[in-house]
Amino acid sequence: MNFDFDLVIRSFPLLLAGAGVTVQITALSVSFGLLIGMFVGIARLSKIWPVKFLAGIYVDFIRGTPLLVQIFIIYFALPMILGTRIDPFIAAITACSVNSGAYVAEIFRAGIQSIDKGQMEAGRSLGMTWAQTMRYIILPQAFKRVIPPLGNEFIAMLKDSSLVSVIGFEELTRRGQLIIARTYGSFEIWLTVAFIYLVMTLTISRLVDYLERRYKIDDKH
Amino acid sequence: MISIKNIHKKFGNLHVLKGIDASVKEKEVVVVIGPSGSGKSTLLRCINYLEEPTDGEIVVDGIPLTNQSNINKVREEVGMVFQRFNLFPHMSVIENITLAPIKVRKMPKNEAEKIAKDLLIKVGLADKTHAYPDQLSGGQQQRVAIARALAMRPKIMLFDEPTSALDPEMVNEVLEVMKTLAREGMTMVVVTHEMGFAREVGDRVIFMDEGRIVEEGTPDVIFAHAQEERTKSFLSKIL
Repeated sequence: MNFDFDLVIRSFPLLLAGAGVTVQITALSVSFGLLIGMFVGIARLSKIWPVKFLAGIYVDFIRGTPLLVQIFIIYFALPMILGTRIDPFIAAITACSVNSGAYVAEIFRAGIQSIDKGQMEAGRSLGMTWAQTMRYIILPQAFKRVIPPLGNEFIAMLKDSSLVSVIGFEELTRRGQLIIARTYGSFEIWLTVAFIYLVMTLTISRLVDYLERRYKIDDKH
Repeated sequence: MISIKNIHKKFGNLHVLKGIDASVKEKEVVVVIGPSGSGKSTLLRCINYLEEPTDGEIVVDGIPLTNQSNINKVREEVGMVFQRFNLFPHMSVIENITLAPIKVRKMPKNEAEKIAKDLLIKVGLADKTHAYPDQLSGGQQQRVAIARALAMRPKIMLFDEPTSALDPEMVNEVLEVMKTLAREGMTMVVVTHEMGFAREVGDRVIFMDEGRIVEEGTPDVIFAHAQEERTKSFLSKIL
């Protein structure tokens, strides 16, 4: 069979634009996911049982159901309750953020629990509240430890964001599908799409490596 | 200054403190000794509620430890030094010391730093102001930990085996700082295995075993004329 290089070159700008959208969804989802995850992760360690319980349900529900189904629920099922259509972009970001938040919550919970409990005791014995100790002593240390798993989560999110193509949102994978529908060049286009994903994920993992090294050098500081 | 009435502490089925009554007067240095597992550290940690007693009543500086706001108030007045230092590894020495005064006492930063620098001179570490904990020896870390507790201007200092995690040659530098504090009239409760320190600095020695206070008295009485067999046998093994 022939590999149509010309098709690749012609499609490349369109695919790159799609990749830009993928990066956008991923960055937004991971940012919101970080915020959600930090609070839910802390809530999972709360001594107030309803808080802990609700956080647990959230994490279990999200981790126990496919992201694809979550996207369908938010895009197709939720509008029935709200009585209004949801913009695909909003739906995509919401689904991915809520999904990412659950995984990030577990990362944070583990990171916080990995900090020696003497640190909390030292903070409390100085008269600081639980929240102050968390903010000034525990979280800054936990953050450094969770950089590698957060990097993995970032990469996973970037790949999983391809799922929002099912609601017609034009990110990289969807762009590929649309070009193939017009040109029948599945082989060339899917390989190109894969290549673009690979370049993006490798870039992120290098970036995470760099951050990890930087924080390792001044490990404790 | 500290009044402890009928304190019990259970960890599950383990009955660690079995009815402790004790009191500490202002400017008194009380040294708690006893074998491992006798409950002495747990008792100390009950005084600032790092451990919540299962039963009993504790009043510190006139404040009963009955609710969270009282507990926080007491903790502001009670400094604690831990066996494993528990310095904050991501902060420099001066940040370690100034954090609580700034956040809890709402002290301006420059004022907190001035106090911190004075305290560092006092513990002999003025040259380590901007070092990080992992750049310090164990003895130096523990002296920073003492300075950190003192920065809150506490009325009482609790020491939980402050020299047990140190190399032998570093024990004295920490004990010296503690002796200075005692001479200055700080109210102190010290859990330790350093019998020399207990004898020299202690106003009163409490001997604990199996969750009970077996005997208490002045160092002279406890070390030379202990009444209880258990006290004598413990002391004979370590002296």
